[in-house]
Amino acid sequence: MLLCLGINHKTAPVEVREKLAFADSHLHEAIREMRRLEGMEETVVLSTCNRVEIYSAVNDPERAMESLREYLTRHFDLGDFAQHIDFYHHSGVAAAWHLFRVASGLDSMVLGETEIFGQVKKAYATAQEAGGTARRLNKLFQQAFQVGKLVRSSTRITHGSTSIGSVAVDLAEKIFGELSGCQVMIVGAGEMSRRTGTSLLSRGAKSIIVSNRSHDRAVELAEEMGGKAVRFDDWEETMIHVDIVITSTAAPHSIIHPAMVETVMKKRRGRSLFIIDIAVPRDVEPAVNELENVYLYDIDALETMASEAREERERQITLCEAVIQSHLDENGITALAPIPDRPPTGKDRSRPGNDLVGDSPEADPITHS
Amino acid sequence: MNTPVLLALSTLCFLGGFSFAVVALRTGLHRPSWANLGIMIAGFLLQCLVLRDWGALHGRCPITNVPEVLVFLGWSLVLLYFILGRAFRLSLLGVFTAPLVFLLQAVALVLLLAHGPYPPEKLVQTDIWHELHAAVSLLSFGAFGLAAMAGLMYLVQDRQLKSHHPGQLFYSLPPIRYLTDAIARLLGIGLILLSGGIVSAYLMNARTFTPHVGLSVVIWAAYAGLLTWHFLRRGSPKRFAGAAVIAFLLPLVQLALL
Repeated sequence: MLLCLGINHKTAPVEVREKLAFADSHLHEAIREMRRLEGMEETVVLSTCNRVEIYSAVNDPERAMESLREYLTRHFDLGDFAQHIDFYHHSGVAAAWHLFRVASGLDSMVLGETEIFGQVKKAYATAQEAGGTARRLNKLFQQAFQVGKLVRSSTRITHGSTSIGSVAVDLAEKIFGELSGCQVMIVGAGEMSRRTGTSLLSRGAKSIIVSNRSHDRAVELAEEMGGKAVRFDDWEETMIHVDIVITSTAAPHSIIHPAMVETVMKKRRGRSLFIIDIAVPRDVEPAVNELENVYLYDIDALETMASEAREERERQITLCEAVIQSHLDENGITALAPIPDRPPTGKDRSRPGNDLVGDSPEADPITHS
Repeated sequence: MNTPVLLALSTLCFLGGFSFAVVALRTGLHRPSWANLGIMIAGFLLQCLVLRDWGALHGRCPITNVPEVLVFLGWSLVLLYFILGRAFRLSLLGVFTAPLVFLLQAVALVLLLAHGPYPPEKLVQTDIWHELHAAVSLLSFGAFGLAAMAGLMYLVQDRQLKSHHPGQLFYSLPPIRYLTDAIARLLGIGLILLSGGIVSAYLMNARTFTPHVGLSVVIWAAYAGLLTWHFLRRGSPKRFAGAAVIAFLLPLVQLALL
């Protein structure tokens, strides 16, 4: 039968997760060692910054669980600390259900994020290379990839952006397309503007210019971000040449007015300007958004979009789980045992009814799906 | 199957393609799909059959009456969408094109039903310049029509960006910079085709200008002016997009005057 043992960001703080994180360089060896444990037949290790999970096909669940815990205690030199680790475990259909939710991004810290899908793929590929998988886990993971794709394509779980930085990047891409030709200017070297600028750079923005009342701070931030600094007196002139402006000064009143931007726009020869105002009090007069070809977003507008996306993703969970359920039904898996509405959250997360599923060979969804 | 039935089926395909896309957009799940593309391809193939039948009837390019002109224009729009839509990364252009083609063909169908079968207009002697003029001019109108649709997409996307409350369309529409580039390219392609149409009309009429050719020259000049205005960066992209939408009235007026 199938078994899943693990910890994640909901059940263990980073101090615990880092103790159990498998180094890439040792993963092959660890998989081979686990496969040799008593009761274990196949193993895949999913080790990311937010979770460490071991998926196994086992012939003796009790014995396998015990030997796996012993192995982890020994491998990570946990000693007595192992008793304080809040492992969850799922078996049979519940393990398949859990993996499908993980691959679909429903168990992630940022609901619906897509990176986890690649991480599950990588974990499976690594296990294959190490000889950790055979028929049952091969089939389970192939199904997980199918379900993950289906959930993303048939629901809105990935729609919108859930953080201010990613909303800003999305908006920039809806204005300029690829950001590779875009120049970004930061006015006011605060932490939020640094993060937003970094998000834009990570998505390909060409270069970054920093301007701050304290020029030394501007130089420092520009160096950190691989850009250049301009004197605070010169930022208005620089605005003619950049595509995206991020403002977060500590000025008590607005510093960017419609008349000023209108003058700038005349010199920009039809190029759009995206202004992200994350200062409170705001740096940019709202009337600037009325100007043609200028798109102004303040902190509230960005946060509203991010929270709407988060709420929308929350609303999609039921639909996503219905897709997973339907896949399990179509493959004759859930007929064998009921799946609870939500994943368990307390200590010892084994599902009620798991034993019913796992004890007989007929109950193994992968063998008989 | 007779020609009006084929035309009705083709018209239904475009209505279906549009409805399919609208439903997908409303649920926020619109992605370029084979199903949607398949409906558009089916509509296009039926258009080809309709035009083939009419072409065989007249023994020439089937643009001898208003329904034929409307269907040929719709065919040009879909053909150019297939050729350019993906190249310009504008898969959603089909969503905007389908209702226009549906409208053109619905009018053609109503006219056919009201008027009855149009008589064949066989030419005693085929004039290559006449054929070329009509076909190339209508293709150019197809390009201007697509530019108008891209302009409409720009205006919708601009409104969503300004409102700070983007709807479902926001995530499916292309970036406004791509739309601006697409409008300019489509207008450029339309201008080149229309130039060919005007030259062939001039040659067709024994090197004399008729009022019909005169109006084509006016349309050419309007679009050339619009493109020049854009490339000289005299106006904002929003005005350029709006102008591309409004300017499409000119080809429609010319077709109405035929």
